[in-house]
Amino acid sequence: MNTAEKPDTLVEYLDRFIDDTLARCTRCGKCFEACPMTRYAEGLSEADPKAVVNGVLDWLKQTPGQTPQGAADSVKWLKVCTQSSRCTEACPEGINAMKMIRVAQMSALGSLGAPAQMKSREEPNFFRKINAFSQTQMSDEEMERWQR
Amino acid sequence: MADKITFWYGCNVVRHGDIIRGAMALLEAVGYEVQPAGGAGYCCGTAKDANLRAAEGMGARTVEKFNAHGNGALVSWCPSCYRHMNSFMGEYTTPQFTLSHFTEILHARREQLAVKLVRRVDRKVMLHKHFGFREVDVNPLVEDLLRMIPGVQLVDAEFAAPGHMCSALSRVPDSLRDVTRETCQQAINIEADTVATVFHSCQRLLCALEGTEPFRVVNYVNLLTESMGLDLRDEYKEWKLADGEEEIIERVGAPRIAAMGEKLFRESILPELVRRPLK
Repeated sequence: MNTAEKPDTLVEYLDRFIDDTLARCTRCGKCFEACPMTRYAEGLSEADPKAVVNGVLDWLKQTPGQTPQGAADSVKWLKVCTQSSRCTEACPEGINAMKMIRVAQMSALGSLGAPAQMKSREEPNFFRKINAFSQTQMSDEEMERWQR
Repeated sequence: MADKITFWYGCNVVRHGDIIRGAMALLEAVGYEVQPAGGAGYCCGTAKDANLRAAEGMGARTVEKFNAHGNGALVSWCPSCYRHMNSFMGEYTTPQFTLSHFTEILHARREQLAVKLVRRVDRKVMLHKHFGFREVDVNPLVEDLLRMIPGVQLVDAEFAAPGHMCSALSRVPDSLRDVTRETCQQAINIEADTVATVFHSCQRLLCALEGTEPFRVVNYVNLLTESMGLDLRDEYKEWKLADGEEEIIERVGAPRIAAMGEKLFRESILPELVRRPLK
């Protein structure tokens, strides 16, 4: 974790990460080529790696109200990402490509200004389920000491 | 004096009290004083990518609470929490602690653990591996730990699944189906009688395979604690292996269902417990 001149908010940090990624990425497509998940989206394995990466970078640019160019294949890629990290290992520029894709997912979910192109996978009742399962496995006293 | 640590077990692992208690017992066995923390009150916010304000608030609150613990050392169980702390939470907050993964610190003190593994556990074990947790190379660490158990024969499977754990594959059901099928095939091919999971979500999603496959599905923590002489029940697996809704209800028990609320149980918990592994 970098402690020098830290941003105050998550969005401020994401802005810095995006600027850095856009400046360093050469659009070579190695990250896409290394991905073990492309076969799980129809037609994605045959897509042009550079074009898909360009689409991902367009999501990072997050032009408010504007859907990025080349969105279709890039969104397919964002949807099948399971955080395998092969992309990060493949990047010749040392970019955390897995994190790049995660931030692009945030953008495609509509969190950074562009229109949403993906639905959130957040589970309904997530925290209520967590509390319910906790109650089955812990005493009230443990719940109070461990989880409050 | 024991080193005091905060053990951050996470959210979804609360289905598996045996894993939480077992992990704590292992940490204590190697000389740590453990302050456990987890559940919704210590959420990292990783599931809130569609609502960054919520994610930021949750992350900041959780870091503040860990700082207030004053232990200086945070040990994470969950790879998602670990990744989210390193990738996002720690970038806009001021953590006053170091972050380690459970496997790292247990492995570093494995000699202290070895002398406590006194009970034989006669099993032929295949480790269910993922290759996505690049921050910590957990698979060889866990394999080293399993090899210390008297009676365990660790057999190597060539297969490692994408993602950092099985829950990451849930968003791509065909990939989870492929991984489940391959895990079964590999275990059968090498005649393993036990598939050992590393993370809780793999245990959650694979444990019901015991109902149809010729092997048991056990988290590696439970193999270690069994060898220490502890008897920790995987109650979640017992629920998953129940024969239909009525038996699940009977096993969970009316008082616990009433405590969580009948409506929540019927709408959200029971459907999860009835669901079979994709295969």
